[in-house]
Amino acid sequence: MSSAQATKNCITLKGSAQIIVEYLKYGIHSILFQRGIYPAENFDSTQQYGLTILMSKDPKITTFLQNVLSQTEEWLSKNMINKISMVITNAHSKEVLECWDFKMQAENGDNQAADPSQRTSSKDQTRIQNEIRDVMRQISATVSYLPLLDCICTFDVMIHTLDNTELPAKWDETGAIVIQNAQAVQLRSFSTGLHKVETVVNYKMST
Amino acid sequence: MDDIRSSLDNMVDHFNDSITHSAPKKLLFNRLSISLSDDSASLPKKRRVEQESPNCSLNSTTDSTNNSASDSNGTWKMNKLRAELIETKARLSQVQDQLKQNETKRRMELSLAESKVSALKSQCDFTSQKLLDLTKDIENKRGLENSYKEEARRAKAELAGLKLKYDETVNKLKNEKSQQEQDARDVQLCINNELGDYRRQAQRAELELQSTLKELECIRQRHDEYKARMSGYEELRANFEKQQQSLKVADERIKELEFEIQSYTDWKQVTKVSQERLASIPEMDSELQRLRVHNKQLNKIIGDKLLLEEQVHEYKARLDKEEGSRAEAAALQVKLSHTERELKEWVKVAQDHCLANTLVSPVTLRSRIEQLLQGDIVHVSEKYASESESKQMRNLVRDLEQKIRVYLKNIEDLNMSLKRHKNFKDRLQRKLRTVSRERDFYKQMVDNFDKDLTMSNASVAEMTQDMQVRYRVDVLERTLTGYKDLCTTLDREIQAMREQEQLSDPSSEDYENVKKELDTLRLENDRLRRRKEEQELEIMQRCLRQDIGPPISKVVHLVDNPAAEAYESSKNMLEKLQAEIERLKRHNKKLEDANEQHLNETTTSTGGMTMNFKELNKLRAELESANAKLGKTKEHFMAARKEFRDVVYMLLGYRIDRVGYKSNYRVTSMYAESPDDYFSIALSESNDLALLETPYSETLQPALDQQLAANNSFPPFFSSLTLDLFQRATVTMT
Repeated sequence: MSSAQATKNCITLKGSAQIIVEYLKYGIHSILFQRGIYPAENFDSTQQYGLTILMSKDPKITTFLQNVLSQTEEWLSKNMINKISMVITNAHSKEVLECWDFKMQAENGDNQAADPSQRTSSKDQTRIQNEIRDVMRQISATVSYLPLLDCICTFDVMIHTLDNTELPAKWDETGAIVIQNAQAVQLRSFSTGLHKVETVVNYKMST
Repeated sequence: MDDIRSSLDNMVDHFNDSITHSAPKKLLFNRLSISLSDDSASLPKKRRVEQESPNCSLNSTTDSTNNSASDSNGTWKMNKLRAELIETKARLSQVQDQLKQNETKRRMELSLAESKVSALKSQCDFTSQKLLDLTKDIENKRGLENSYKEEARRAKAELAGLKLKYDETVNKLKNEKSQQEQDARDVQLCINNELGDYRRQAQRAELELQSTLKELECIRQRHDEYKARMSGYEELRANFEKQQQSLKVADERIKELEFEIQSYTDWKQVTKVSQERLASIPEMDSELQRLRVHNKQLNKIIGDKLLLEEQVHEYKARLDKEEGSRAEAAALQVKLSHTERELKEWVKVAQDHCLANTLVSPVTLRSRIEQLLQGDIVHVSEKYASESESKQMRNLVRDLEQKIRVYLKNIEDLNMSLKRHKNFKDRLQRKLRTVSRERDFYKQMVDNFDKDLTMSNASVAEMTQDMQVRYRVDVLERTLTGYKDLCTTLDREIQAMREQEQLSDPSSEDYENVKKELDTLRLENDRLRRRKEEQELEIMQRCLRQDIGPPISKVVHLVDNPAAEAYESSKNMLEKLQAEIERLKRHNKKLEDANEQHLNETTTSTGGMTMNFKELNKLRAELESANAKLGKTKEHFMAARKEFRDVVYMLLGYRIDRVGYKSNYRVTSMYAESPDDYFSIALSESNDLALLETPYSETLQPALDQQLAANNSFPPFFSSLTLDLFQRATVTMT
């Protein structure tokens, strides 16, 4: 966070990417807990954005998210990401049950510099945090209307990058996911001044 | 090498010599022939002679034969010589053949030998070279050998030096060894000495140990004694504690008793007081009567007081009512005055409103008012009627206005159509005019043609060619102008038509059509708008899902993600479970097979499970019947016991009840004065009866001593007691 804030209290592209990645980390952990994908005893509570958020203790999950999010941060700081999807699937039938889309939109910031790495935003950080907090609240409120996941589920994080992105080792290209009989709900969005993040949950309508 | 070469050369020379030796042979042969040359000189001559004159020879033979007698000896010799000659000749030819063969053989051998020689020479060169090399090597090796020999010598010298050194060291070491051995012996001696000391010490220690063991035994014995004492002490202590406890109990008992004594003293005081009181009972009776009377009086007084209170309450209520009525009266008076005033006003009003000559009364006023009201009603009804009429009229007006509008529209339409018709008429007139002009023009043309014809027929001769042509040109010019006029008129007409078309409004039918079309289009528009909204909503939804239009992106994910892992693990688990299922199936089958076999065996032997069930049911039924039997016997037993007990009680006069778990019996007499009068008797393990102490037995102590202690038998005691009690009972009865 410290590097996100320059001396003149402005956010650079890298700082914006850091803020978003932090949001993604807490958001994904929160979804994992709220949707009951892993047992509740594997979660520890932490304070963030003025909320109590439950974070997974499983070393496998934490290392996976660490790897994915570090790569995401790198790509985000180059504006190479359109969308990040967290896909919840049935572990046995591989059927996609839910898809949490985090859509990224690059914004111009204050100075519309040609070089995107020189752009900065002077948006107040507490304001951004408040916006993120509202989204997090909505995520935890979705449990009331999302269908019950009554099977063993697992998740994956898919990143929609530009076509010319070079893939690092251990990364693989995969197909777009499809949910049968889907229903979409758009949650609030927040913006760092350089990125606008929309959160949408697509879920399978229970028959 | 040179030796070899020389020897080889010698060999070659020798060979050559051997070859050349054949020449002398030949020569020898020649010489032989030469030696025979005397013969040969004669031989060829003789042969020639023989060849030249065989007849001659024959003649000669004949001569010889003829002359045999003379020189038979000579002829025989001649024949012999001749035979020898022939023989030699044959031998010569043979020898010559042999010679030739030998020659060829020699040549072949020569060539062979030559080739061999060349080969041997080359081999010789090679071997000589090799020899040279080898000699060089040998020289080198010799040099090396010399150097090695020198080294060996040096090494030997060193070895000798080292040997000397090591011998010295060996000697030294030997000396040291001997010294060390001596030391070792000394040390051994010392150790032996020490060992002896230690042994002695050990012996001493053993002795000490034995003594200590003895002491220990003594101590143990003492310890045992102490233990015994200790146990005794503990027993004593326990006794002491028991005594203390009993003491405490006794103390408590004493305290209780003291309390009882105190209470007894209290009770005594109380009894004294009560006795005193009892003494003062008659006084108290008299006082009681007095007080009763007083009480009655008080009751009466209270009743009076209550009555008075009721009365007071009643009066108060009346007072309140009175006050209320007074206030009401005042209000009524005020109202009265007010109403009087009102009445006066009413009278005035009545006077004002009534007819002048009639008496002023409420009846007239009412009638007047009724009249007025009736008038009002009539007016109101009229008003309503007029209003409805006006409404009707307005409606009519509206209808008419609408009609007028319709008519006006119709008129306008008609006017428009009239205009259109007028226009049409104008156009028709113009058309008529143009058509008439055309007609005129065509007529003129016809005339022209007629004239032309007439000219060609009649006045061709009169008119010159030029004239004819001119005339025709004129005529054609005229027709041309006519055409032009026609064209312009037609153009104008077209323009007018176009303007008219533009100006002309659609007819009413067209208008209706258009209206209908408009309505349908509007409906369509609405429908499409709704559809559009729906589509927009759907597009929104799709946008949210972002599944419209493949975005220019690729979807990537980390290879080792939890999902892949979960799939893998679930797959593994599935496989494992399937394997388990297979295993269990096999197991199941095995068990089934085994079971079937077992079943077959059992069915063949006992008839299977059904038999078992039947047996079970049978046993159950038996159990039930046995239980029922048991219950019945119990009931029987209880009844019999009760009867027996009653009979015994009635016959012997004692009820004997068993009390508690131990064999304690309570014996109650039929004639006992109270239910608490009972004996308790215990049956010990040795079947001895013992009378236990009860409150009742204490009262019969002398009888007990007399009967039981003397006879040591219960029946006489009980019988005497029964008698005693019976007598006492009868005495009290009497």
